[in-house]
Amino acid sequence: MSDFLSAYSIQNWLESCPQGYLEGTDYGHEPGAKEPAVVLDNPTLARDAIRTTVQLVVGERCALAASSGLINCAPDYGSKTFLATQTLDEARHVEIFTQRLYDLGVKKSDLESTITEYANPNLVKFAEVLLEKIDKGDFIAGVVGQNIVLEGMAFSVFEMLHASMNDLNPKFARTLSGTIADERRHVGFGENRIGSLIREHPERKSDVERMQKDMTYHMLATFSSQFATAGEAMTEGRRLMQDSGGNGDGAPAPIWHGANLSTATPEEMEGVLSDTVLKEFKVRLGRIGIDYQTPVAP
Amino acid sequence: MENRVSPTPSEPHDLAPEVFLDEVHSFEFWFQAVEGYLSTSPYGRKPELADSDLDESEREALVTTLCNYAIGETAALDASSGLIRIAPNRRAKIFLATQVVDEARHLEVLLHRLRELGVVELEAEVQRRANHSLLSFRNRLLQFVDGRDWEAAVFAQNVILESMEFAVFQAHAERADPITRQVLSGIIKDERRHLGFGENELGRRLHETPHIRNRLQAVKNDLDALVLGTFEDTLEQLRVARSQRPELGRRYLASVERLGFGL
Repeated sequence: MSDFLSAYSIQNWLESCPQGYLEGTDYGHEPGAKEPAVVLDNPTLARDAIRTTVQLVVGERCALAASSGLINCAPDYGSKTFLATQTLDEARHVEIFTQRLYDLGVKKSDLESTITEYANPNLVKFAEVLLEKIDKGDFIAGVVGQNIVLEGMAFSVFEMLHASMNDLNPKFARTLSGTIADERRHVGFGENRIGSLIREHPERKSDVERMQKDMTYHMLATFSSQFATAGEAMTEGRRLMQDSGGNGDGAPAPIWHGANLSTATPEEMEGVLSDTVLKEFKVRLGRIGIDYQTPVAP
Repeated sequence: MENRVSPTPSEPHDLAPEVFLDEVHSFEFWFQAVEGYLSTSPYGRKPELADSDLDESEREALVTTLCNYAIGETAALDASSGLIRIAPNRRAKIFLATQVVDEARHLEVLLHRLRELGVVELEAEVQRRANHSLLSFRNRLLQFVDGRDWEAAVFAQNVILESMEFAVFQAHAERADPITRQVLSGIIKDERRHLGFGENELGRRLHETPHIRNRLQAVKNDLDALVLGTFEDTLEQLRVARSQRPELGRRYLASVERLGFGL
């Protein structure tokens, strides 16, 4: 175990993250990069961008509370130091996504009211299930909930957003690429550290599986309600893209897990995102000896 | 890290108060502050620095001292991470996240130094050599955090513990072997930032709600005996002459007194 944990040291983190892929960035993107005028000038697109970014802030605030809360109950120095790097990663994510809200025109004085207005209630419940375990000092359930379920969901959401934004919004795409690199590290720690603990404490499996089922339910409900209200903005964005001749010059359409993100309906987008996240859950949970539990459909 | 228009860490006081707090409590500011002394110093020291020849009693004393530093840093790591959840605003949460990684780095470099000194079973060795006053201090600090007592916990951690470490590490660095001195120098730079946060946060609160002063004075009175006990044992290990020990106490008190907490 100590060998695997040495790969997650502060020293490695310093060299690979702040001195690596974040080098030369400003709030995670190229210095001076701006949100596209087409987003800032169109009320429908601006509102949709704010709504999406609020969910990212809510998720990252939960991850910050969870990763910092796990440090005190971590059973060894290696896990404590890794979780310290994750804590700062999550704080950075809170900072850069909050900054994006400001870049999209949210006033600092309106930050909390904007988050309250747009936060998806299902995502808030998702966070509450996880933070209840953290409050109880439950390291095993906390790491599974945080580093497998929450991070697994975030990883796929960020990847899909990145694929759809890569050509349309290089600033946001660059911000996302740094967070994706972080999430990959976090998921890796969860798989590596928890597998041995689950083997040592098989009696904990059922409780962890119940938590996963609850979190998965709230995650799918979040996806459902988010995409149910995304149609207008998707239609508007595609209309403006066509008017400006974008994606009409032979550039390949953004494809993610087989879905054409420039033509897919909201239902198709929800389907491909849910399928992707659930497949990942099954694989990653299987690696640590947890049987994926299917929740009822939201 | 990036080419921001905002001032460098050396000139943040030119900023308006709210912008100042946003600036100095950010990931960006933290990284600008640490990259100068960390980027070329893996594990807190220049790789080319040669180790000194320590005799067995010197090595033994240094191992005991560093084991207790590891306990102090673990306490700070557990406490600062626990404080994030109860921090009153986003900027305090983000600052504390930078402090969390600082404390974890301190723990990591101290454990790395202990390995260099031949310690194999690190966690067991640290526990075996633990100073009882320091363990009691840690327990009191974590009680404040668990009790969600923001002011008492920030005071105990970012003023008292950081002041204690600042004074001890400075005194130790003055007489340490070159590698230990360099490791401690990097830690001391971080402690200044942490002390600054504690002073700023509590200074503002004391100004706005003066009645908390009596409660914090009681916290200090409660912890003073533990701080002095820790000092005494550490200075004994460091072989600091008794005549020089009051100076260390004065350095500690100077930090605490800036907030108006005298003896």
